[in-house]
Amino acid sequence: MKGVWGKVLKVDLTNSICKTETLSDQVYEYFLGGAGLAAYYMWKECPAGTTAFNPANRLTFAGGPMTGLKQTGAAKWTAGAISPSINLNADSAATASFGIEMKEAGFDAIVVHGQASKPVYVVVEDGQAKIKDARKFWKKNAYETEDGIKDAEGNDCEVVTIGQAGERLVRFANIQTHKKSFLGRCGLGAVMGSKMLKGIAVRGAQKCELYDPQEINRLNKEINRRVAELDAAQPELLQFKRVGTAGATELFAPQGNLPIKNYQLARFPSGEKNLHASEYVKKLNARPWPCQYCVMQCHNLCEIKKGPYAYKGKGPEYESFAMVGFNTMVDDIEAVAYACELANMYSMDCISLGVVIAWAMESYEKGVISQRDTYGLDLQWGNAEAMVEMVKKIGERTEGLGYLLGEGCKIAAERLGKGSEDWAVQMKGQEIAAHNWRAQYISALNYCTGVASGPNHERGNSQHIWVAHVRLPEWGIDEVKNEERWSWDKAADRNAKFHDYCNVINSSCHCKFHEFRSYTLTDLVKTINAATGWGWSVEDLRRCGERITTLQKILNIRYGWKKEHDFQYPKRFMEPVHEGPAAGKIPVGLEDAIRDYYRIRGWDEQGQPTPELIQRLGMAEYIEE
Amino acid sequence: MKVQINLKEREFPPGTKFTQVVNLIREANKDEPVMKSLIEKTGQDHITFILNQRIIRPQEYDSIELKDGDDIRWIYPYAGG
Repeated sequence: MKGVWGKVLKVDLTNSICKTETLSDQVYEYFLGGAGLAAYYMWKECPAGTTAFNPANRLTFAGGPMTGLKQTGAAKWTAGAISPSINLNADSAATASFGIEMKEAGFDAIVVHGQASKPVYVVVEDGQAKIKDARKFWKKNAYETEDGIKDAEGNDCEVVTIGQAGERLVRFANIQTHKKSFLGRCGLGAVMGSKMLKGIAVRGAQKCELYDPQEINRLNKEINRRVAELDAAQPELLQFKRVGTAGATELFAPQGNLPIKNYQLARFPSGEKNLHASEYVKKLNARPWPCQYCVMQCHNLCEIKKGPYAYKGKGPEYESFAMVGFNTMVDDIEAVAYACELANMYSMDCISLGVVIAWAMESYEKGVISQRDTYGLDLQWGNAEAMVEMVKKIGERTEGLGYLLGEGCKIAAERLGKGSEDWAVQMKGQEIAAHNWRAQYISALNYCTGVASGPNHERGNSQHIWVAHVRLPEWGIDEVKNEERWSWDKAADRNAKFHDYCNVINSSCHCKFHEFRSYTLTDLVKTINAATGWGWSVEDLRRCGERITTLQKILNIRYGWKKEHDFQYPKRFMEPVHEGPAAGKIPVGLEDAIRDYYRIRGWDEQGQPTPELIQRLGMAEYIEE
Repeated sequence: MKVQINLKEREFPPGTKFTQVVNLIREANKDEPVMKSLIEKTGQDHITFILNQRIIRPQEYDSIELKDGDDIRWIYPYAGG
């Protein structure tokens, strides 16, 4: 088979053994790579009863057929494992160059299991791997660790690392690479920390054979030109190169899509002004910091030259910006950017972080906790200094509230009680993302039914139908009216298609943001075909997406998912806001929509894949008795 | 004649100008909150129109006559995550 190696590196940290394993073509045809391959290894090697911090948990870092093709957006790669926040299958995607370098090192994936007896890091180079002592890096932040590994192994390697939050098992700890890209959600950094694995370095020079390299070049030229021109044609305040994803605040405010004050409010005038994309460029001195081969260049290098929040590094993405800023009512853009970068260094997901701090602020406001609990901090809404200090307390897992918040707001609320569960905006143990279900009801449906990573906006993305006008015409999503935001008609079908869409993107390893600049399913399938020679249609692509989603569902059932979990949405879902574009909108009918989603998916009333579905997808060997 | 708009085939009479399709799309989206907000703030909706893989500038809209088989894409202004 072309376009992939057919080989993965297996790393056994308990016994300190690294070996190569080959995979059949069928595994790639069924699950592509990336998220699909991570799910495959969980299915193959993590039996029922495996939990997130169990050494048997497989942490898989995987590229896909798009990896290394030099097409804009093809720097994406994925990691997956059983998550410590949702205790189910989870995957998360990152960019920079780690995935490309891993492929050039001769592997489609690195699958880590076991637990080292002391801190280690792994070095992978041109088909070989070594496990090395990482004790000198333990307790260092993720960026210092990357620097240290590069000093030891060479600056030309690509590295993933965790910081203190990962070591100390913060349930929403992430994994970083190149100080600019993060496997953000679902706590994969804590899985890595539980294995005493501090980092992985990869380096290689091998080129994977492609089926039709000339067609790849032709497609790259056409697609790269089209995407670059389209970004340049946007108004300045929406150009990815200028403002990254922070431009979303300009667009989301008129839709009522922002999360404000732990999702209690519709308007935040000083936030909308001070956290605006134009301020991002002015106050943060944003400059493009592109991923390899990308022409859209949505990542930014920012610099605050003086003051208490001085730093130079990654600029916050929309989700980080929204959760750490709007959701906590902190309207100081420098404080928000600095807090996000602190979180990055500790290795914490900014989405969950913003929600847990907002939960703590609401608990403080309601008198459930006091300054005795907050280390003397006045944890009022909008207190930037207190917010920044709480980031440190959580990252350090400081005794008391800092430690508790590192468990996520579900566990924190269960332990604190006093009604605080009512304002824990989470499902299945993971905090809800920065797309407001009141602006489009499909977001509520997505959060409830997502199987790839719990309630994750990026593993469904159906909100993009409205917030970004993304259409999937090849799969039948074309004409959509604005007022359908608040209708359940077609919601289940659209939600299912977007789940499968996210899965093919995250498994082939391409960047979903290119959908905003006209990248289509036709582009994707043509590129996959040119790499592999499979000759797929867009319908074959859909079938593949369905298989990956179905495998993730099988895994979730294995690891303890029950139907009622999809219905345990936050109480706040049914609390309206009283002003703004989404005033009065609450997703009444959500439960029927969930049941409709099961039916559309070919699942039974208990949310389990039916025998007919399994047969249609050719997945009999994957179903559990 | 048959023209594709965002991969969906539509029928138009011969002689249809590009500007007519632009107006149809703008009319269909005029109630969309982001369009309204952008028009209010900047005077434009910032929809980008592409014909046969070439971005068409507003000053060209009136001068282009559509042909059978033309491929029109329109892109909503967006940056976000």
